[in-house]
Amino acid sequence: MTQGVITDNGHELFNGLTERLDGHRALLEETRRSVVRLLADVPTAPKRLRVQAGDVVVEVEWDDAGQPVTVVAAGAPAAPEPPAPEGEYLTSPTVGVFYRAPQPGAPPFVAEGDRVRPGQQVGIVEAMKLMIPVEADRAGLVARALAADGETVEYGTRLFELAPPDRTAG
Amino acid sequence: MFDKVLIANRGEIALRVARTCREMGIRTVAVHSTDDRDSAVVSYADESVQIGPAPARKSYLDIAAVVEAALRTGAEAVHPGYGFLSEDPDFAEVCRDNGLVFIGPPPEVIAQLGDKTAARGVMARAGLPLLPGSLDPLGSASEARSLADDIGYPVIIKAAAGGGGRGMRVVHDAAEFGRAHRETVAVAQALFGDPRVYVERYLATARHVEIQVLCDRHGNAVHLGERDCSTQRRHQKLVEETPAPGLPRELVERMGEVSVAGARAVGYVGAGTFEFLVGPDGRFYFMEVNTRIQVEHPVTELVTGLDLVRAQIEVAAGAELGLRQQDVVPRGVAIECRVNVEDPERDFAPAPGRLVEFSPPGGPFVRVDTHGYPGYRVPASYDSMLAKVLVWAPDRPTALARMDRALAEFRIAGPGVRTTTAFLRRVLAHESFRAGTHSTAIVGQVLDEQHGPHRAAG
Repeated sequence: MTQGVITDNGHELFNGLTERLDGHRALLEETRRSVVRLLADVPTAPKRLRVQAGDVVVEVEWDDAGQPVTVVAAGAPAAPEPPAPEGEYLTSPTVGVFYRAPQPGAPPFVAEGDRVRPGQQVGIVEAMKLMIPVEADRAGLVARALAADGETVEYGTRLFELAPPDRTAG
Repeated sequence: MFDKVLIANRGEIALRVARTCREMGIRTVAVHSTDDRDSAVVSYADESVQIGPAPARKSYLDIAAVVEAALRTGAEAVHPGYGFLSEDPDFAEVCRDNGLVFIGPPPEVIAQLGDKTAARGVMARAGLPLLPGSLDPLGSASEARSLADDIGYPVIIKAAAGGGGRGMRVVHDAAEFGRAHRETVAVAQALFGDPRVYVERYLATARHVEIQVLCDRHGNAVHLGERDCSTQRRHQKLVEETPAPGLPRELVERMGEVSVAGARAVGYVGAGTFEFLVGPDGRFYFMEVNTRIQVEHPVTELVTGLDLVRAQIEVAAGAELGLRQQDVVPRGVAIECRVNVEDPERDFAPAPGRLVEFSPPGGPFVRVDTHGYPGYRVPASYDSMLAKVLVWAPDRPTALARMDRALAEFRIAGPGVRTTTAFLRRVLAHESFRAGTHSTAIVGQVLDEQHGPHRAAG
């Protein structure tokens, strides 16, 4: 587990805000926006993020055994090695019924062995009578279909397993 | 009665609703975000559905995801808890359109009472006393300004769509009115998507007293007495108690009667709360109606012996209220303290983290409503309230001693975790709180005495 700590004297930064906006919540909202910008600069999604208002403290914690990463607000961010992907999955964007094909009897959007590219539609989740397209968020080779046609899924349910990158390369 | 209820909430209230459902033989479905996988209600409920990622907007506030989860799991009704979608008329309507019972008032009633100016209008016609101010949202800054001048300062500018202590601004003199008005309009637009504001007199040393009501679909309505919620910080309640100390019983009785009249006037169904300000002269003024179960509802449960969530569910299922006004006989004194993971030394900044140690108090007449447990990681994504500590006693001095004992027993520790328990004990020990003469200014007074006046101004 590695941990980076960012501290800054936030008084000047936020003094005007607390007066103009709705007190503490506005401060937190602004802190959160800063954190979103900060997260855009770190290479991997952290396991844990702690935000504290007042004297601003942002703690970022990554869930791997790599070197400690310290990101200093004013300085250039250190670039840690991205962790090796454990197995990649395309997951459901919401709760609903998953369909592999555009309509009953039609061939599925993708089958095992197919290559997918980012943005390619791989299925449909029907929620509240809406047909929500499921799109691949990365490229890969479909190793296994994990959810059956017509199966009830929830947010994050694994729909397809992608083969590891070394098998899809080339 | 329902066979299965979906609980559209998280934290302690989700667990609290699930517990009553289990006592009633109703199966439960918990919904949760990715951040709440380890939440206590997820393992407690009969089923759980992950409805979205951590931001509430994409999970607990996603109407389609919540309703779809209810339909997928075969739930017949949805309990919204407090916060999130609990006072969203659109959510109540979508539930109804999909054949789900929303455990709360009809969407039309939520919409009417959610608009603070509409609520003031209907309650004024039902005979409830209002603070001097506007009955309608004010069209222009100059119109608002001249009304404020008529009322006399200080005044408070409030967002028509506001609530939960958000979107209001106190103005002490005419010179600061223009700027405060502009800012409140901007905040109202940003927070609620509705820029309308209204103006009323501000009572700096008022007490905040509310009346719990309960209504069925058959025209029966009762009130369950009052709660004093004067101990607030930035309009967020910290301590609630009943009975309101030092308030004449006939005044409380009158507030109860007008609340029932107001509830009948709008066709209210379910549990609701009428909020009032009580001035130093003993006059009371209607503020707003909360159309949901409230955080502090157990205070009323302890003195009446009623399970309010059970009553909500029964009424939603169409049952008649099993009690008349004369059956409601509050006994003794109940106090609730909200324990937040916040650091009072750092201006109450949120201080969540993993709870290495979590040992709630026990002993006679102590109730703790919490979703915390040892090892639980309090997510930073949501509200900072971790537990509610409640005590009951035959009289107020005993209740205060019991609460102090309970708070002192509460062990919560973990890296970076801070709580408000020690601060709450200082509030309870304050001279004016002990005397029961405190107003909504008490938290500022405690902070002043601790750190000097500069701390309270923050």
